[in-house]
Amino acid sequence: MKSPANKRLFLIITLLAVVGALGTLIFSSFTGALVYFHTPAEITAKAGELNGKKVRIGGMVQAGSLVKEPGTLKIRFLVSDGKSHLPVRYEGMVPDLFREGQGVVVEGVWRTGQDFAADTILAKHSEDYVPVEMSEQGIAKSQKSLLKSLQ
Amino acid sequence: MWIEIAHFATLLALFLSLLLFGAPLAGMRWNNMAWVRVGRQAAFWACALLTLASAGLIISFMTHDFSVKYVAEHASLKLPTFYLATAMWGGHEGSLLLWAWFLSLFVAIAAWRHWDTHPVSMPWVLSILGALQVGFLLLVVFLSSPFVRLLDPPLDGRDLNPLLQDPGMVFHPPFLYMGYVGFAIPYAFAMAALITSQGDGEWILATRRWTLFSWIMLTIGIVFGAYWAYYELGWGGYWAWDPVENASFMPWLTGVAFLHSVMVQERRRMFKTWNLFLIITTFALSLLGTFLVRSGVLSSVHAFATDPGRGVYILMFMTVLLLFSFGLLTTKSDQLQGATQLESPWSREFSFLVNNLFLVAGACTVLLGTLYPLAVETLSSAKVSVGAPYYNKVFIPIMLGMLFLMGVGPCIPWRAASKRHLRREFLVPAIVGIAGLPAAWMLGITHPFGLAALALVLFVSTTHLRDVTGNVRLRMARDSLSAPAALWRMVGRNQRRYGGMLVHFGILIMVAGFVGSGLFQEERNLFLSPGDSLRLGDWNLTLESMGQTARRNWQAEEAVIRAERPGETVTLKPQKRVYNEHSQPTTEAAIHTTWREDLYVVLGDPVKDGVWAFRIYRNPLIAWIWFGSGIITLGVSLAMLQGRRPQRLST
Repeated sequence: MKSPANKRLFLIITLLAVVGALGTLIFSSFTGALVYFHTPAEITAKAGELNGKKVRIGGMVQAGSLVKEPGTLKIRFLVSDGKSHLPVRYEGMVPDLFREGQGVVVEGVWRTGQDFAADTILAKHSEDYVPVEMSEQGIAKSQKSLLKSLQ
Repeated sequence: MWIEIAHFATLLALFLSLLLFGAPLAGMRWNNMAWVRVGRQAAFWACALLTLASAGLIISFMTHDFSVKYVAEHASLKLPTFYLATAMWGGHEGSLLLWAWFLSLFVAIAAWRHWDTHPVSMPWVLSILGALQVGFLLLVVFLSSPFVRLLDPPLDGRDLNPLLQDPGMVFHPPFLYMGYVGFAIPYAFAMAALITSQGDGEWILATRRWTLFSWIMLTIGIVFGAYWAYYELGWGGYWAWDPVENASFMPWLTGVAFLHSVMVQERRRMFKTWNLFLIITTFALSLLGTFLVRSGVLSSVHAFATDPGRGVYILMFMTVLLLFSFGLLTTKSDQLQGATQLESPWSREFSFLVNNLFLVAGACTVLLGTLYPLAVETLSSAKVSVGAPYYNKVFIPIMLGMLFLMGVGPCIPWRAASKRHLRREFLVPAIVGIAGLPAAWMLGITHPFGLAALALVLFVSTTHLRDVTGNVRLRMARDSLSAPAALWRMVGRNQRRYGGMLVHFGILIMVAGFVGSGLFQEERNLFLSPGDSLRLGDWNLTLESMGQTARRNWQAEEAVIRAERPGETVTLKPQKRVYNEHSQPTTEAAIHTTWREDLYVVLGDPVKDGVWAFRIYRNPLIAWIWFGSGIITLGVSLAMLQGRRPQRLST
């Protein structure tokens, strides 16, 4: 029969092994899973450095830039941050919230010298849902009246 | 008018909550029970007033009072009555009021039910809950008020986000909040037990039903959220490891850990510090969940920083809570010595300990993935995201490990199991599990995780079924009963144990759903014009026609698709809806559910004249996820029937 001290040691070693295995699992999965977010301007500035990396690019879908290839689900558009813009290709159904003049985040592998081939398009669903009439002017107006009511 | 009443009621409730916080403290300082009774009355009145405040906000919605800013932003004249009445929790401000109302309700119930049984700890419980209530009401009244009026009210409101106009999303927040808020009661009892040096575990027995209630509410809330994502968002899945989902999943995981590890303290007087750590963590994560979702910090740290009042307040609230709780835990740790020690790894307490480690590791995984991007964005200007692959990589092994422990835990004895006992309990289930592998291979499951999950599901169900049938047979022989009568009496004698086993069965059914929909989903992207057809699984789908349809506050493009297979014909009508003529289109997937699989059709955009894009999924076994969660609810309800069990120590 094992002595109590030996048993205790065995228990502690088992527990440490479990904790170690779980920790390793978490951190090894974590390090490879980070995807950095860039604006088109940053992408242009760091084009070489980011080559071959998975990135997210965020900005506005430039008005007038969206081209649909008839008979397919292929689209092309420009993502713009006001300073620079980046051509993006995508094939597939786009989210409901995706359209020209709206914010968008595209994800894919960046390859220098090519159009950005997005494998995912994200358009966030926000609770602060704002139809056209109540967009920025509307909010500015209600904020103004709010300020008035506070004065 | 109503909104002013609501506002005034909330202010009064804030005042009464201060009394609820202060009066019991004064009562203990000057040894005067009258003050503690004042605190108790304050809890009742605060609850009544917050009920009035919530009713006032709902009435403002029902009467289309668009001079109230919150109503104008979350409702419109055309919004159906059902969504009008529930739009109260369609945004941040109303949600926080709902949270505060639930808290006051639970505090009042606790003050009523535990008053006679807990004379020593009650003043502290009241005071701690009072402090929480003050904290929340300050947020509602000063930083996130739903009672603000607009000077020039619009004629019509902005309408509720169309994505939230769905029954799944109507029920999701209240259940989630009941779960979050419910954990405040065990938390307060735990803290009170620590302060009054009663850390031996009476608080665990007293709050067992609260814990179970909170956990099942959280579970239902999460499942409603997943169901909504599946039903409404039209991407064929139900869980995307979105930070909003993660926020509710973390307290769920630590809640499961807590539910299991308290049994060890009850029976073996061990893990005292650990259990306190778990309940503090669970409640803190509940608060974090509320704040993450409700502060706007997730959509952008910068957007959050533009409204620094709310953010700084929330950070301070969390800091005070954590410093108080863990400070108390460390100063009082000397009274938390365990009465016994772990003896063997072949024991129930050890399997529960490992189960806890797995669950806490799961919670850490989610916490890291959710908070790391926020930390990076705050400390540097870089933005980073952590995708689903990370979570899947970590959670699949953790889930498999948990499954194994789920089979072992309920059937291995306390203290130490003999080799003979282990062989008797686990040899047959292990053989059944392994024998399932070739059968699974033949059915087409070749993925290693799928095979492992199936073997473990068989292992767990065999251990559980053998336990039930063995005990039923024992009773039949001993008391000469029929099988159903023996089963009835057995379950009736120990609702906790068999409620727990029923929960485990529910989990197994859900796992089948996860594996089926995760490994065997089929997806088709294609173009159809009326008359075209395709095959998917054993279904034959034909696009019959395209048309238009409308309801009160939306109109839609609608496809009519006939789906046929031998012996069954159904019509599916996926839509692209536009709400109130002036907003984004939203996708309404058409779903046909059978126990074997879901047929899930999404209508896309027209690609050219008369040709439309479609995305069609076959999701095997997905209904099992919803069904399994129903079984879990039943199991927890059964376990809640049993009150406090007479003390039975295994020493």
